Amino acid sequence: MERGYWIRSKPVYTALLWNDKATAHAVLAAGDGGLAVLKLFQQALPEQPITVFYSPAGADKDYLPALQAAVDADLRVFATTAELLAAWADYLATARMGLRIYTAGTEKFMWDVTDAAADFGILNQDVMKELTGSLARSVYCVHCKSLTHEVTSNIATCSGCGRQLFVRDHFSRRMGAYMGLMVDAENPGEVPQIEEIYP
Amino acid sequence: MSQLQVKVASIQDVSAGVRHFTLVDAHGGELPAFSGGSHIVVTMPAPGRTYRNAYSLLSSPEDRAHYEIAVHRQPQSRGGSIYMHEEVKVGSVLDISYPVNLFALSRVAKHHLLIAGGIGITPFMAQIHDLERLGGDYSLHYGFRSREHAAFADALKGRVSQRAVCYDESLGQRMDFDALLRAQPLGTHVYACGPQGMVEALVSTARALGWPEHHIHSEQFLAPPVGEPFTLKLSKSELEITVQGDMSMLEALEAAGVDAPSLCRGGACGRCELEVLGTDGELQHHDHYLSDADKASGRKIMPCVSRAKCGYLELNL
Amino acid sequence: MSLAFKQETFRDDYTFRNSPEAIRRFPFPFPEDQYMYSVNIEPHTAGPKGAVTEFTLDVDEHYVAECRDKAITLEQDPGRCASLPHMMDAEWDFLEFTMESLARDYPEQFSLSKNGKAWTWINRPLGIEQSFVFGDAATLPMGPFEYMGRQVQGDFVLLDQREDTLFADAGIVTSQADWSLAFNVGMSWNEWHGPVPQVTKLGVMDRALKFLMSLQQANPVRRLNWTMTINPRLDTSPENYPLWGGDRNKVNEQNAGELAHLRVELQTLFRMPRSNAIVFSIRCYLISMQEMATYPRWAKRFHRVLRDLHPDLVEYKGITKYQQAVVAWLSRFDDGADIGTGTQPE
Repeated sequence: MERGYWIRSKPVYTALLWNDKATAHAVLAAGDGGLAVLKLFQQALPEQPITVFYSPAGADKDYLPALQAAVDADLRVFATTAELLAAWADYLATARMGLRIYTAGTEKFMWDVTDAAADFGILNQDVMKELTGSLARSVYCVHCKSLTHEVTSNIATCSGCGRQLFVRDHFSRRMGAYMGLMVDAENPGEVPQIEEIYP
Repeated sequence: MSQLQVKVASIQDVSAGVRHFTLVDAHGGELPAFSGGSHIVVTMPAPGRTYRNAYSLLSSPEDRAHYEIAVHRQPQSRGGSIYMHEEVKVGSVLDISYPVNLFALSRVAKHHLLIAGGIGITPFMAQIHDLERLGGDYSLHYGFRSREHAAFADALKGRVSQRAVCYDESLGQRMDFDALLRAQPLGTHVYACGPQGMVEALVSTARALGWPEHHIHSEQFLAPPVGEPFTLKLSKSELEITVQGDMSMLEALEAAGVDAPSLCRGGACGRCELEVLGTDGELQHHDHYLSDADKASGRKIMPCVSRAKCGYLELNL
Repeated sequence: MSLAFKQETFRDDYTFRNSPEAIRRFPFPFPEDQYMYSVNIEPHTAGPKGAVTEFTLDVDEHYVAECRDKAITLEQDPGRCASLPHMMDAEWDFLEFTMESLARDYPEQFSLSKNGKAWTWINRPLGIEQSFVFGDAATLPMGPFEYMGRQVQGDFVLLDQREDTLFADAGIVTSQADWSLAFNVGMSWNEWHGPVPQVTKLGVMDRALKFLMSLQQANPVRRLNWTMTINPRLDTSPENYPLWGGDRNKVNEQNAGELAHLRVELQTLFRMPRSNAIVFSIRCYLISMQEMATYPRWAKRFHRVLRDLHPDLVEYKGITKYQQAVVAWLSRFDDGADIGTGTQPE
């Protein structure tokens, strides 16, 4: 909450839940998102075919053995999220309406998955998302237009112009990023205490 | 609300019970452009009462010289379509609303699946113009009872035969919604217009197959159902108005000179929503706009198509 | 109507001033001593002769200078104009709408002739004559939206209606009250109204959305909004916040009359025919406290509004640092007399 006003653009993430009205299901997870997939497979499974895309990159624990044991479906494992996203784009190209999409991982990963789906006409609200692991944010510098990833503090140094940016709660789905605004523009050098608030 | 005045330039019977009207600006100017899927509301000053019915524009949205509408003579009509068939002649001048689009094509769709039943073909006739102009990817499926009910089958054949599939029910040809919907690529939007049963079957099949709500579009113009007469009490203007059995609440309000906003007059757009303060009977909701919770609350009503079975209904108006 | 266009600047040396006529027609937004945030939408019908609402789009003495300032901003940051690919129909709608209304309402300044799809547009104040084919973007020097967006005062956002909401899918934004088009483009109604004052009553924005979704052709609507700006600066963008943010520290009781400006937005919304999009026009009017105080009734009114403004709104509008200085400067005009209701200057 920022003082004086409230923000409605910040996405609210939920726990993954099967949607049984579907013709097929695609589950995409990276890192600690593996745990969310394990929880999903504890639920009664839907009748339709399921494909799971998983990359262990960035995980605190090794979820792979548990996933291989639990996922009674087409499980595709990728060393990096980049490889996962490339395979995801190929999958989308031949998919049909009725596909339900679930994703879990960091905010950046989930919005990368959602952006790829958006290129095929999927609305971002129709991708179910569960945030896992870090709360780290991608931050868009409104001054130099660069993106700075994995920001865990209220104030971050812009990777493009070096300005100290205050990280607002205002979120752009198109960019998958929060707005960053120069924190000491009015009083140069007066930077408030930097705190880690998105661990 | 601003209105347009048009003159009937020609009338043509295109199929059983369907009459096609070509309208031009009454003052010889250009008509406003519109987007495919738009309708106009035609005001029909019948003796003793005024009807206002919505009709989809089927002409090319780029044609600023003419509007075209098709009017199906409703056997159980309260009078609107009969008025159009019997009273309106070449040269008649009519007041119409500006075009309103409650059935717009999604401009972010990757593919458009258009499903028409009977007279429900009309909005698609205009949308096809837009899709052809914009290079949009689409397919049209058009079902009708028999060849003599196929108002625009020939027009489609000439224009877009590769993209249109016709289904003649008298020859046993039926659309298979399940197979059709399962075969669509990601990013498809489906649009249905036609008889209530067809539209409901299409929508429920799409939902069951996991189509997201915003990919499913439908339009039906509901005629206000007839019922028992009752009395409207207006709390602000302190008026009492009788709603006759064959009149809608909205028509009764308008006939009494009450300024009640409206747009589609078919229970779809939400513009005419009124607040209910009380009744000694029960509300009969017929609209597609209010949520089930709103309907159950008894606090809101859409006077264009809904009514009440009661002695009186009090409105905050 | 003859208009004398002023040579003036909205940056660096800030030579912008209002003539007495421009002060008199200023869209003063406070009918009462107490201001509460509301959506207050009304039909955009023709106002009295000379009023800013007399015509569909208002062209005033600042037209040429504002268009020049807009061109400077766009040259420095082309991202201030953006349009998503599915907005091309809306772009042409916008071009037709602006050309037709300017040529109809200001025939001495603008003219439009059509021969089928071959159109010729003449903008005398900016010295432009352009023949082009309507619907063929290759016949214009730039996209149709940017082309005309540069020739009208104020900011424009094109809203695409789908998924039961409105999306800000195109915009040309160079005189904004601190919001970023580059960040916001493509957002839905709820997202781009992300930051709203806490005092806004629940449901107000939802009702406004519902109302706009049923906006009809030929029945435009309008509302006024306001904030304050230090120096007559049109481009108070977040992009350039490092350039103008520091000005907020410069205001004191002595210079507030000159530095502090009331910034009023005349917001108008029009339904477009071909695209079914809504044109959202945000026209900015600036007036210094000194200029405002040439009408003591306005100075009294604004003194009371600013003095008693809800703290959430003070914060939201970015007035915190200099509110007291401006209130102190204005207090000399306020004898406490009852001035009744209404926005009139006298």
